[in-house]
Amino acid sequence: MLEVKNLTKVYADGTVALRDVSFDVPDGEFLVIIGLSGSGKSTLLRCINRLIEPTEGHILWDGVDVTAAEPPQLREFRRQIGMIFQHFNLVKRSNVLTNVLSGRLGYVNPWSSLLHSFPAEDREMALRALERVGIADQANKRADELSGGQQQRVGIARALMQQPRMILADEPVASLDPVLAHSILGYLERLNQDEAITVLCSLHYLDLVQRYATRVIGLRDGQIVYRGTQEEIRAMTDEEFKEIYGQEAERVSVGPHEGGIA
Amino acid sequence: MATRTTQKETLTSLVSPPVAGVASLIIPGLGQALARQLQRGLILLGSMATIIGLFAWRVNLLGTRVTGPVEKLIKALDRRPFFVVPTLVGIVALWLWIAWDAYQQAQPQRRGGLGVLALVVLLFLNLGWQISGIDIYKFVTELSDAKGPLGRVLWPWEAAFVRDTQVVSAGADILSPCDDAPPPPVPEEVPGEPYLVADPTCGDLATQDENLEEVLGTPLTLVGRGFAPNTETQIWWADPIGNEFRIRKEGEYLTLQTDEQGAFGLEITMPYRLIPPSSAGRQIHRVEARQISEVGNLQPSDVLVHNIEKMVETIVLGMMATVFGIVFAIPVSFLAARNLMSGSPFTMAVYLVTRTILNIIRSIEPMIWAILAVTVVGLGPFAGVIALFVHSIAALGKLYSEAIESIDPGPIEAIQATGATRLQTIMYAVVPQMIPPFVSFSIYRWDINVRMSTIIGLVGGGGIGFLLTQYIRLLDYRSAGIAVWFIAITVAILDYVSAEIRQRFV
Repeated sequence: MLEVKNLTKVYADGTVALRDVSFDVPDGEFLVIIGLSGSGKSTLLRCINRLIEPTEGHILWDGVDVTAAEPPQLREFRRQIGMIFQHFNLVKRSNVLTNVLSGRLGYVNPWSSLLHSFPAEDREMALRALERVGIADQANKRADELSGGQQQRVGIARALMQQPRMILADEPVASLDPVLAHSILGYLERLNQDEAITVLCSLHYLDLVQRYATRVIGLRDGQIVYRGTQEEIRAMTDEEFKEIYGQEAERVSVGPHEGGIA
Repeated sequence: MATRTTQKETLTSLVSPPVAGVASLIIPGLGQALARQLQRGLILLGSMATIIGLFAWRVNLLGTRVTGPVEKLIKALDRRPFFVVPTLVGIVALWLWIAWDAYQQAQPQRRGGLGVLALVVLLFLNLGWQISGIDIYKFVTELSDAKGPLGRVLWPWEAAFVRDTQVVSAGADILSPCDDAPPPPVPEEVPGEPYLVADPTCGDLATQDENLEEVLGTPLTLVGRGFAPNTETQIWWADPIGNEFRIRKEGEYLTLQTDEQGAFGLEITMPYRLIPPSSAGRQIHRVEARQISEVGNLQPSDVLVHNIEKMVETIVLGMMATVFGIVFAIPVSFLAARNLMSGSPFTMAVYLVTRTILNIIRSIEPMIWAILAVTVVGLGPFAGVIALFVHSIAALGKLYSEAIESIDPGPIEAIQATGATRLQTIMYAVVPQMIPPFVSFSIYRWDINVRMSTIIGLVGGGGIGFLLTQYIRLLDYRSAGIAVWFIAITVAILDYVSAEIRQRFV
């Protein structure tokens, strides 16, 4: 259970990215965050694992205040939370296996890992993770030799290595071909349903939101302007969507809902 | 649409067209300025002033040793008519054209001709041609002069290998001038040994009379015996202080072939020799016949050996400068990386100071650093190492810091999010991004430094450049050619190797 309480983030240049944001995420939820670019979605996700330090407010993970955690506790907390990025954020020149193995860094001995030495079971696990996302044959390629969709799957495999209880996904499909979007979100949905991993995901397309979300919050100018359940979001019309999302919102049809999982 | 008219069109001329024309006739560009075309007027005035100034300077140079502007112009006209006449005509034409242009510009519908500007450019080109001394005719007609040196530079390998030589020689003493004392004795003939006799055994050297005309020396008859048969033989002259030179006849070295018995007979005149006044008086000179034959196997010449030694020195010099440059550039580059140093005003100040110093060092050529280093450590490769080292720190420091600045923050964030420690983050997200540019820039710098070290030698920084300048100054184009070949081969290999290595890392 993740609880976000009165979260506020003001950047050094005075920009207020988040204003008093509060919400709860029960375990097993697929929570989608919608909102325009600059509405604070990325900041919100990064505040949860403190890649960005919140200015005010608290984040509670199973009742423990993460915002007050010292570095060792923070790392222990972070390793339970996988993260997936819009631009994949792979180390492009390292090979796929190394990228996936880096997901274990929070678990392994920090000193021996500096020499790129990982326990055999971790390597085994990395190969299994790659198999799960269907790219085991690419393990020894350099990350930048892979296509965008494949790179995002490496990103998912890296998150899986953390044996996460929650996954934060920051626009995971925004830089991908729309057809690939279902493939990537399909993996997240399976992890969510089969392994009860909580997913917090920011998305752009209403189609995708309606298809995958079990709950939705909408952000505008750093404030929560919409909270909806799965039923409410599925019943939502384009007009309502545009109202919270702004005029730039798009309903993009991205192919058959059930297909796509490669 | 009146509101859409540009400002240029709304500004009408202050004066009528004829007035503008006359104004520009008095001061070029004034009419344009009055017609509210200040920029155009200033450009034309500036151009006119510069053209006349440059022309006056060249006329002054051409009209040397005469006074007065008119006299100078006449002399310049006489010396370079094809420069002076077109320029004068051009200046007058430009003056009139500027006036006509002012007349045009002052009219309501401006017809801005670019022709006047074209004439300005043309005049500048004409002056530039003269100032830079371009002489196509000379270049074409004297191009053949380059054939000799160029041929030797392009194919210098005859100087790379030599054989040992064996000299068979015999000489005869000649007294100069003749006096009452008995002349030097004729050497005794030993059968089977080479033998040379001169007749007479005294005489006068060639000199110059008061009109600088050559006065031939005393003719001598040389008879040689006992030399190797049918072999090329050179005639040498040695003066009393031991200077030796080959005798020339009509500019060519005197050589002859011995007959089947190894004998020859030859008429020569005593050569011209500048004798120091202090050594005037009775002098014994010596004339020698020499047969030089090559014996033994081909072996590398001293020139080749020197070139190889210096080439190795050059490569090592470049390498040392690069290695030390890298070691010092890495810490400096962190201070010069904006993204690392933008934290506080203090670090930002450090960043700015570092950047400024690097820029200054980099903008001073390694040649200059070498000259400075030579004053400290003297001639030799160490001076070159210092020069290239200093320049490498600045160049690599900038390149490295730019690599640090362009690092992708995405992977750092991703690795942090896995719960990695700071050190792990650096190792997994930062280092992999840094290695390729660092390796690439370092190899590239080594490549540059070896190439530079050939040049550094020109100012005494050691290496093959040092040798190359000496050879060029001695007009020894073959030896210089060997150095040039070595440089070219080394640079080509290095280029290839560095490209290969960089390709693997990037």
